Amino acid sequence: MTTGLVTLKINGREVTVREGTLILDAAKEAGFDIPTFCYQANLSGLGSCRMCLVEIEGQRKLQPSCITPVMPDMNVFTETDTVKMTRSAMLEFLLSNHPLDCPVCDKGGECELQDLVYKHGPRKGRFAEDKVRHHDKDYILSPVIVKNANRCVQCMRCVRVCKEVVGRGVLGAVGRGVHQEETSFLRTRLDCDHCGMCIEVCPVGSFMRLPYRYRARPWDLVSARSVCGYCATGCRLTLERRGDTVVRAIANPEDGFNRKLLCARGRFGYDVMNSEERIKTPLVKERDGSFRPVSWDRALELMKEAILRAGPERAAGVASATLTNEELYLFQKFMRKVVGTANMDSTSRWSAESSLKFMEAAGIRGGGTSVYQCAESDVVVVLGGQLSEENPVTDYILRYINGARRNTLVIASPRGMKLDSSAQLSVRTVPATTGAFIAALLKALVEKKEVSMEGMEAVKGLTVEELSGVCGVNADDIRWIAARLLTAGSVGVLAGTDMLRYDDGAEELALLVRLLENTVRDVRVLPLLDRANQRGAWDMGVHPYLEPGYRPAQRRGHDVHGIVELADSGGLGFLYLLGEDVLGLYPDRAGVERALSRVGFLVVQDSFMTGSAPMANLVLPMAMYGEKHGTMTNQEGRVQRMEAVRRPEGEVRTPLETIGRAGNLIEKDFPVVRPGDVWKEIQKQVPGYGEVRGMEAFKGASADQVAELKPSFSYAVPERAEGEFWLLTGNHLFHGARLSQHSGILRELLGGCVVEIGSTAAQRLGVGEGDMVEVEARGYRERLPVRIREGTPDGVAFMPENFDGKDANRFFDKDRVVSTVRIRPYKKQGE
Amino acid sequence: MDEKTRREIEGKILPKYRTRRSACMASMQLVQRQKGYLTKEDMEEIARLLDMEPVEVEAVGKFYTMYNVERPVGRYHIQVCENLSCSLMGGEHILKHIERLLGIKTGQTTGDKRFTLSVVQCLGSCGTAPVIQVNDDYYENLTDKKVEEILERLK
Amino acid sequence: MKEKKREGVLDILKKVLFVDILKGLSVTLKYNVSRSVTVRYPDEEKWIPYQRFRGAHTLNRDEEGRELCVACELCVKACPTGCITVVPQEDDTGRGIADRVPKIWKVDLVRCLFCGYCEDACPTTAVRLGRDYELACFNRTDAVRDRERLLRPQEVPEGFEGGMVVSARFERTKEGIRVKPDIWKPRDKDWWKKV
Repeated sequence: MTTGLVTLKINGREVTVREGTLILDAAKEAGFDIPTFCYQANLSGLGSCRMCLVEIEGQRKLQPSCITPVMPDMNVFTETDTVKMTRSAMLEFLLSNHPLDCPVCDKGGECELQDLVYKHGPRKGRFAEDKVRHHDKDYILSPVIVKNANRCVQCMRCVRVCKEVVGRGVLGAVGRGVHQEETSFLRTRLDCDHCGMCIEVCPVGSFMRLPYRYRARPWDLVSARSVCGYCATGCRLTLERRGDTVVRAIANPEDGFNRKLLCARGRFGYDVMNSEERIKTPLVKERDGSFRPVSWDRALELMKEAILRAGPERAAGVASATLTNEELYLFQKFMRKVVGTANMDSTSRWSAESSLKFMEAAGIRGGGTSVYQCAESDVVVVLGGQLSEENPVTDYILRYINGARRNTLVIASPRGMKLDSSAQLSVRTVPATTGAFIAALLKALVEKKEVSMEGMEAVKGLTVEELSGVCGVNADDIRWIAARLLTAGSVGVLAGTDMLRYDDGAEELALLVRLLENTVRDVRVLPLLDRANQRGAWDMGVHPYLEPGYRPAQRRGHDVHGIVELADSGGLGFLYLLGEDVLGLYPDRAGVERALSRVGFLVVQDSFMTGSAPMANLVLPMAMYGEKHGTMTNQEGRVQRMEAVRRPEGEVRTPLETIGRAGNLIEKDFPVVRPGDVWKEIQKQVPGYGEVRGMEAFKGASADQVAELKPSFSYAVPERAEGEFWLLTGNHLFHGARLSQHSGILRELLGGCVVEIGSTAAQRLGVGEGDMVEVEARGYRERLPVRIREGTPDGVAFMPENFDGKDANRFFDKDRVVSTVRIRPYKKQGE
Repeated sequence: MDEKTRREIEGKILPKYRTRRSACMASMQLVQRQKGYLTKEDMEEIARLLDMEPVEVEAVGKFYTMYNVERPVGRYHIQVCENLSCSLMGGEHILKHIERLLGIKTGQTTGDKRFTLSVVQCLGSCGTAPVIQVNDDYYENLTDKKVEEILERLK
Repeated sequence: MKEKKREGVLDILKKVLFVDILKGLSVTLKYNVSRSVTVRYPDEEKWIPYQRFRGAHTLNRDEEGRELCVACELCVKACPTGCITVVPQEDDTGRGIADRVPKIWKVDLVRCLFCGYCEDACPTTAVRLGRDYELACFNRTDAVRDRERLLRPQEVPEGFEGGMVVSARFERTKEGIRVKPDIWKPRDKDWWKKV
């Protein structure tokens, strides 16, 4: 990497920029705007649209500024008559084949071609021939993309973004010259990520959103800056509504760390807000099991009675890690101060110990790391999980940075993923053996270089071969990774939720980080979380052992496992599930169903009738993202403020208001509050949050150690009988964070619940993509279509988490590390 | 695409290139030789063999006039050059003449599936204009009489 | 003195011969026999304005009967009072000239100031300010005209030159009272000349 500086003159103004900067970027820095179509930050240079031509002293012809790097003492002119004339002529060329159907086009009003013609363009066209028409009617490329090739300006942004950022490359430039059309293979329906990046980058109305088709004009829309609620990447998005209906979510390139990037869930999952299936009023269960609407006053009165009846020891609460920081803070305050219990959790899936260890190892308690910093490290290691589907935008960022910088990307995960194609080395570990994998890595590092460090003595007794036998990764591959780690100047580690779920590898990771800090010095750990505000939930102290700001709790409570056990024994009089569907997520469905039925008074507050809701005594409606103000902390530790785009409908209330009123009812001095008041309190209580100003900031929190990490270095392969599959679960590309099932668009993309296996396993079973198989374990059977995932080894299967009606957690056995299932092809009778 | 072609791509074409996708054009040429044009399945197969996306293969195929993507052609594919030199030397007249002789329009195939007539860009033989290309062979310095002879021979 | 006397005599003569009354009556009588200027609206006649008149809105169709409006919402953007509401929808059954057609197109004539900016903004000449000027109604909601109503053929065709009084008929319909003109029976082609 060159870091030299170059000084040049642009329109007579002197600017100094980094060597290798493009003239276009340098001009922007100097304050001159050069129009362009084909240039797009983060994409490879193309120089095809010729809009950005500039005059350079000493060069006879005009040069495209978007692919010409600066040179010392260059004298560039961007506003001469020649340049202006050329711009106008280029636009005239583009318009010569443009249908000019702006009144019909959805892009009208926010179209780059319109803007540029208005600014630079000819006022009159001289082209009198027939225009090229690719087709008469717009055609549909996917359930979310509709295409009109006639309007295309052939900038190829869509083709490049699909290949270089999204990593699919399903779009191509078909044809030649004016007949070129950026489209799918033979214009067939796309089988892709449906992320809509091609729509977002398209400067004209060639790629359009199908759900937004002919719904509104840009000037009709009321917009608000929000944060995506589907995963912990925490992408910034702008929600826009017309009337009371939210009609689209867009990524504003000038706003937020994700710039233009969004995935299918973020871009098209907004329609959950408009869903008809939402809970609209408080409902109370009658004797006969049916629900009857009640007023809020009555509902809160019932809640108060139940809390007082149960008493602090027999009460508990689980809040979803998708709520805002303010809501989570108030929830734990309500549980601790009003109810008087520390029985609470922010998840239904892993234990409190497991999360403590993960917080410690991934450095969550000590402030944030930017995903860019992590991705730009010399060596990037992804541990566990399915990054490409669980955190799609993190995957995009890693891919395009890797494509541009050619740094080493290593993936160690049980399942194949899209990012594998960018990785220098991608290894498949046996599920729940991340610990063994890291231990092998440690041993390989010690073999190569003598390190004397506390905690490393035990490593010396291990052998790489033995450990590689456990985690299923070739010993040579482990040594290759170790060699790369030692020569790297900086290392980025992305730690997936598998480590939390299986309570696996946190100790080893902490040791690895310490070791690398001694040798490499610059180590950045980024946790990959699947719930939008999991990190915020921990920061806010929604944890049985931790109070806000990672202060150890004076009185420890039960975590979700403890709560379920307590309920099962009949010792729970009151349980408050705030946005969390314990029944659909807890890794033992039969057990938790029994437990919930034994709870004295179950209150479920949620936006939809989740699995747990029908079991509740009291169901309360809840406002969702886009309907409330607040802050969210993403996996990087970035605190982002979100605004409401509209008010919640009818009787729907925010959790903040509910908790405030319920608390006030029981204790007079518990305040009914607004988000701003809670935020002020959070800033006082949580270290790091005090420095957060404005819309977006990293919290620089630091806190005391939350867990003692001592690796045991004893490993075993999780049990699995011959021919069985380890069943993994998590977010699916089109299904995550519970809400997606109620989004009509995402439901259409998903089609339904699937079971995902590798191609070798599919061959063994003799099934193909879409064939039905029967998944069976613990006496429960489910017939599901197969999806084949290249790169997933035989013996590993995946089912999306929390899919109503096809519950993956029915197959889980709480007492086993990784549950197994049998899968066999399902043949219809008579075949 | 049959097994033999697949083996030929793997064995003969691929070793010539450093990256797999570079073998795209040569492979397409090979596959097209079989029935004269490329089907959807052919392109998908080539893409799979060469680690490409099908749309990339299609894009290559539709860029060059020498590939017939999803366009069945007759046994003899007559390609008439319409660029400057040939036009000046009477290429357009040659085209009209062939159309008259075969009774088809440009882009069409004769009823007996013997001839397909199309117009192409420069064939790179301007010195001997006008030129037509029938399958892989060039016929140069054409006159009406020569064209008649050629077509007679091929009939 | 003498002159004063003479004036006195004339006064008496005028009074005796009813000169002033006759003068006044002559004006009345003159109008009685001259051609009438008043329009017997609404019972017999109706004024048809000129082509450039800006009355209530109409939505037009093309020769094949397809709606010209493509719901581009430019009229909404151009409207200084915000009296037009357009909501587009997709319909490729040939209802409109494009597959984008208005689901809702309504104008609030109480708010409208008949400036004609919507006409100017319209890229397909779908919206025109027509020659309907009888806009009185009993409540505000009746003043909001929707797509169906605006799409109805105009009483006075676009091509009719106007600027004349034609015979008309006073009618009571379900929608209220209206004056139906018969443009083929012009009463007075050049009304202005008489004024």
